[in-house]
Amino acid sequence: MTSPIRILTAVPICDGHDSAINTINLEFIRHGIEVIYLGYHRSVGDIVRAAIQEDVRAIGISSYNGGHIEFFAEVVDLLRKRGASDIKVFGGGGGTITHDDAVTMRRKGVDQIFFAGTSLAEMTDYVRKNYGKLRKPQSRAKSWDIELAWKLTEIEDGLAKSKRSTSKKAIGNRQSAIRNANVIGFTGPGGAGKTTLIDELVLRFLNQNRKERIAILSHDPSVVGEGALLGDRATMINSQNDRVFMRSMATRGQAGGLSPATHDCLALLARSNFDYVIIETVGTGQEAMPFRKDGIVDQTVLVMNPDYGSQLQLQKIVMLDLADIVVVNKSDLQRARTAHSEIEQRLEQNRRDQRLIDTVAKRHRNPGVDRLFDLICRSERSRRGKAGNQS
Amino acid sequence: MSKLGQVVEAVEKYNQFVLDQVKRARSDEKFGRELIHRWNETKAKTPVTQTPTGLPLPRLALPEIDEPGEIARYLFGEGLPGEFPFLNGAYREMYLEPVREIESASYGKKTLASGAKQKVDGNGARPPEEPTRLFSGLMLAEDTNERFHYLTQHQRTHRLSTAFDGPTLYGIDSDADGVFGKIGEGGVAIDTVEDMTRLYDGFDLGSPNFSASMTISGPAPIIMAMYIAAAKRRFGSKVVPKLRGTIQADIFKEVQAQNETIFPIEASLRFLTDMVEFTTREMPRWYPISISGYHIGEAGSTPVQQAAYTLSNGFAYAEMFAARGIPVDQFGPRLSFFLDCGLDAEYIALARVSRRVWAIGMRDAFNAGPRGQLFKLHTQTSGRSLIAAEFKNNLTRTAAELMLAYMNATNSCHSNSADEPFTTPSEEWIRLAAHGQAILLEESGIFKHTMNMLSGSPGMKAVERAVERAILDEFREIERLGGVLAAVEDRFQRSQIQNAAHRYEQQIYDGTRPIIGLNRYRNGTDDIPEVKLARTPRKKQQLQVDRLAKFKKKNAEKSKRALDKLAAVAESGKNCFPALLDAVEVCSLGQITGRLQEVVGRFRPMV
Repeated sequence: MTSPIRILTAVPICDGHDSAINTINLEFIRHGIEVIYLGYHRSVGDIVRAAIQEDVRAIGISSYNGGHIEFFAEVVDLLRKRGASDIKVFGGGGGTITHDDAVTMRRKGVDQIFFAGTSLAEMTDYVRKNYGKLRKPQSRAKSWDIELAWKLTEIEDGLAKSKRSTSKKAIGNRQSAIRNANVIGFTGPGGAGKTTLIDELVLRFLNQNRKERIAILSHDPSVVGEGALLGDRATMINSQNDRVFMRSMATRGQAGGLSPATHDCLALLARSNFDYVIIETVGTGQEAMPFRKDGIVDQTVLVMNPDYGSQLQLQKIVMLDLADIVVVNKSDLQRARTAHSEIEQRLEQNRRDQRLIDTVAKRHRNPGVDRLFDLICRSERSRRGKAGNQS
Repeated sequence: MSKLGQVVEAVEKYNQFVLDQVKRARSDEKFGRELIHRWNETKAKTPVTQTPTGLPLPRLALPEIDEPGEIARYLFGEGLPGEFPFLNGAYREMYLEPVREIESASYGKKTLASGAKQKVDGNGARPPEEPTRLFSGLMLAEDTNERFHYLTQHQRTHRLSTAFDGPTLYGIDSDADGVFGKIGEGGVAIDTVEDMTRLYDGFDLGSPNFSASMTISGPAPIIMAMYIAAAKRRFGSKVVPKLRGTIQADIFKEVQAQNETIFPIEASLRFLTDMVEFTTREMPRWYPISISGYHIGEAGSTPVQQAAYTLSNGFAYAEMFAARGIPVDQFGPRLSFFLDCGLDAEYIALARVSRRVWAIGMRDAFNAGPRGQLFKLHTQTSGRSLIAAEFKNNLTRTAAELMLAYMNATNSCHSNSADEPFTTPSEEWIRLAAHGQAILLEESGIFKHTMNMLSGSPGMKAVERAVERAILDEFREIERLGGVLAAVEDRFQRSQIQNAAHRYEQQIYDGTRPIIGLNRYRNGTDDIPEVKLARTPRKKQQLQVDRLAKFKKKNAEKSKRALDKLAAVAESGKNCFPALLDAVEVCSLGQITGRLQEVVGRFRPMV
């Protein structure tokens, strides 16, 4: 079994025409392709950064608002400048890109332009044929982020090839790894607002300190038939930043909210040069216990939606026993007050130092998110303090 | 229950009321006689006009009924044109040419002075205005200005409809990172009040014969402030109450379909309400919002979804404005609508039904007076229905859509140019598109002699019933989700639209939706014909960037103070619009957007 093809799709800056790309994304994933979707109105810098971090084979750009000759060329140029010209560029724009334009664009390094009337099957075939081959062994990565992205791919694809981990070699001896980062795990049911909450925290990390660097390992489920739509980047507007390294992973058939390669990827990120590593699971069920108790994840945050059903349901949520911090997001909803007191009661049974915080992540500068941020930073300082005492 | 729930109830109640009136007309003899009398009188009073071939025709066609129950069904269920619930039209007469002088007993005493212009739109003492609107915007302000002058050279009234380029629609400046190449593409580049002044140069902004329409939503309050500032620069502040026009400013549809939102939803709605509060008070002739289904339709919705989401968005805005304390009879008449018209069967009556639902909802759920009940509609033919392959077929598609639009008694209409699938329309195809409307309205006898010429066929009625039922079902679903705002935040409309779009594409690919020249009767070649493309030359783009740099340098000090003041007002929760009016004098669009985003945040896309 070969590893799924990973590609990145996006719509250029000042362009909100996402109807075509939405349809194409679905068709791609149906044919086993993993699509990292960056969304619409995205800059060249955002696209190239994401493509490098995600280590995709190609970037598909859907452009309907003109300026495509410049835009596509800028993507190709920036990839070259960053030492990532092995990432190919293709795209389309219905009738807005003429045949003459396409000739110019190909001359400037674009692989292929699809015109109006091209069937979805034709596009999918093209991607599978041209971007499906294994990459030639690379001599040397041109930058640290490319190198990191490649290593993550090796881990991920190593597992995809043979179920048992072949990744130990790739990531070195875990025991001797130097831990730099504070690793924070976010989990919770789908629709609770984990992604938005993380992005709001990232904004605060970036503003608090002009140097801190953050890694995000984000998960989305693979659909049956192997493809996956990895769309977290599209909503994580603050995380598209040069100080954030983000990687989207598909679960590739594993249940429980993470991918078979997550653990090793996380270990690699944790000993790479980041101050914080954030991991987000896919939306989880009641029995999920996504984070292993082996110390890689320093703090676990369970993000809840106030609409979890009856109070009895709370008893079944395993993560309520394990999480360090429980967040009731969307606390502007009517049910939030009830949810807060019911969850509070449930946590009291545990007799542990668990914290409960209400947030409205969708609101800019929400005080609840500020409190969560402070709490995470404080725990981080105390963890560092302890680590210092031990040595 | 939200207002939308009340609207559903109101329409159901009204339909029951109509049935009751039908029954009553049949059982209550006096009532029946009154109806027959009124009916006969309406017919008798209807002027008769004469076609060029000499055929006399009534200016209003009514069904051939004489039974009181059926008369009640018509008068209460549909209404005469210009009468509640406005199914047949918002005004008594539309599109009709002045009565040709003929002997007509029923026309009574009034005789027309030969050559005098006759009021036909039921809309005051103004001469009839052409319902034709042509959307345009390209390159820099001076280029669009030249196009506006070209387009209006033969028009009695100057109704300009403005398209903005991508950076402007997203509230960013032409010097922003990575937008070079997008400047002046697909619309005009506006960064500052100076650009806005150039854009409408040479037009009399305070004249009753002038109106400007601006198709922009995310940064609408800022652009509106620039328009007012530009008008004041040329005509002094006395001009403000005289300004006529429309700004789109429809945030809900942006989030649901068009993706040109720049602030979080709640903040966007607040800035919108700030603007509406100002314009409804200070600019009584301005339409501060155009509630738009067009982009919902173009993004792939079904026609019913388009109408249902547009209407429910409209009711949600009405609820919001009322909550701000703006009287319904002040904002109600200043709401206008914009729908798509494609080739699906629903379009035979989509706008007719929308007009009826709106009128009933506004009257019964919002307590609006007669002027606040009117669903004033601008229609555009469907851009999505046009394709590149054998693009001249697009003339036929647009012609059929125009026919449907006018059958729905739209108040104004834009016809798309056949070359739209590849480019900003070129002059040749724009002219043909405009002529399409003139042929239909002026050359042909379909609309110019008689109101209701094509209304009320059994098929149209069948469509009306089915469409109204489906719209109410959509309302109920939205109501179940907690109302429009909750449903929007839940991505309900958005995902419904995407599903429909996906189905539409599938139908094209599998051939169940025939598209001539694409999946049926293909001529074998896929070549896009050679058309002259309107691209903005690099030199012009650079000019815009340079001008902006000059403006920013000139106002460097003042803009800082203006932005601080604006931010403080935004923080305070007070109405931002007066501060915006000051800010646009010295700040660029991007500077203002950026500063406001620091206060309220950026829009987080929904995918």
